[in-house]
Amino acid sequence: MTKNIPIKSDPNTDIACRTPDMEERSLLRKVIDRIADRCRSRSLFILHYCTGCGAIELPPTITSRFDSERLGIQPMVTPRQADILLITGYLSIKTLKRVILTYEQMSAPKYVIGMGSCTINGGMYWHSYATIKRLQEYMPVDMYMAGCMPRPEAIQQGFLQLIDNIDKGKANAWKEYYYQYDKYLGNQQALFGPDWHTPTDVIAEARHYDLFSDNTIGEHTALLAKFASKYVTLQHKEIVK
Amino acid sequence: MSQQLPEVLASVFKKIPNLVFKEQTARRLRVELRPDALPALLELLKGRAGYLHLSAISCVDWPENDEFELVYHLWSYEIKTLVSAHIYIPKKPGRYISVYDIYTPAAFFERDIHEMFGVYFEGSPDMEPFILTEWSGPPPMLKSFSSLGYVEETFKWEQYSPDWLKEIEANGGSIVE
Repeated sequence: MTKNIPIKSDPNTDIACRTPDMEERSLLRKVIDRIADRCRSRSLFILHYCTGCGAIELPPTITSRFDSERLGIQPMVTPRQADILLITGYLSIKTLKRVILTYEQMSAPKYVIGMGSCTINGGMYWHSYATIKRLQEYMPVDMYMAGCMPRPEAIQQGFLQLIDNIDKGKANAWKEYYYQYDKYLGNQQALFGPDWHTPTDVIAEARHYDLFSDNTIGEHTALLAKFASKYVTLQHKEIVK
Repeated sequence: MSQQLPEVLASVFKKIPNLVFKEQTARRLRVELRPDALPALLELLKGRAGYLHLSAISCVDWPENDEFELVYHLWSYEIKTLVSAHIYIPKKPGRYISVYDIYTPAAFFERDIHEMFGVYFEGSPDMEPFILTEWSGPPPMLKSFSSLGYVEETFKWEQYSPDWLKEIEANGGSIVE
C-alpha cells in the first residue's frame, strides 16, 4: 500500500521526518538501480593483484591487441577507485592478508574475479603448505576464470559475462561479505590466528548499508572485541556481551 | 688435478687440515671439510684468492644420517672458479656459527635457512622469520615435514564433480550457460 506523502508540511512534524516504507522505497530503487547497474556495467576499473603468474596475460588483454577498454574496462591504480579486484594466479597465506586489506578498502559495489586454476583449487600448487586453495572461503568471489593461465580471449569472455551479470543485477557477491562476515572472518582467523583483524570496521559498515544479518556477527567476530577494540565500534561490543 | 689448480688456491687448501677437494668441471671445485675449519677457509679464500662473492648458502637435509649439509658457494672475479665448500653438521642441536663477519650477505642466507630448516646460526644478526612471517609450524623444508598432510588438515578442497553438476548433466545439460 502506497501512502501519500504531503508535499507541504511543517518540517518538524513526524510525517516529514518519517522514513519511506519498504514498498515505496523499492519502487524508486528498482528504477534507479536499473539505471545505475547499466551505467556501472559499462565503466569498470580493475585493480589487478598480480603476484601470481597470470599477470602476463593482462598486457595483451588491456592493450591494443584485445583492447578491453572497448568494453569499458581499464586498469586502476588504487583500491578505493576500483570496481573489480582481479586476483591472478596463486595466493600465498602472506599475500592473502594483503588481498583482504585491499578488498576491504574498496568501495561497494565491488566484484572479485579469481583468475586461473590456483584460485579455484590450488592449481599446480595444490600440495603447497604456503598457498591457499579456495579463494571463496576468505572473500566472496563473483566469478572464476579457469585455466592455467586463461588466454586473453577467455578473460574477455569472463569480463563480458561479468558485465552481463552486473547489468542484470546478479553480481551481488560483495553483499555476502557483510551478510556472512562471521564465516569469512573465521576462515581468515584459522590461517592467521585468533588475533587477526583489519582496520576496517566491517560490522559497522554492514549496519550502515543495511546489510546486517544474523550471520554477520558470531563467535569469530566476538574475538574482534578482544583483539581489535581500537577498530570495532562500541555498539558491536555491547551486542557481543 | 692439482696441476690445473691455480697456485693461490692450492696454497689455501694446503693450510686447512682434513680438506678433500674434487674438481667437478674446469671452473667448479667441490671442497669438503670439517665444520670447525670452514671460517678459516673462507677467511683465507677472501683474503688471499679474491673470493669476494658469497653467492649462496644452501642446506640439505639428510634424514638417514641425521645431518644437515651446508654448502657455501663462493666466486672469485679474478680466478673465475666457483668453490663450493661442503660441511656436515649434526641435526641435534642443529647449531652452527655465522659467517656474517666475513661475508655480510650471509645474514639473509642464514636467516632463510633458519626459517626453512631450523638451523640456528650463532652470531647472525637476525634470526627472525623472513618470508614465512605467518608460519607457526615446524620448518617446512625438512624431509620429516609432510606438506600434503599439512594441506589436508588446513585447507578444504573444491569438489571436482559436485552433486548439483551431476544432476544437471543427468538432464543433458552442462555448466556452460
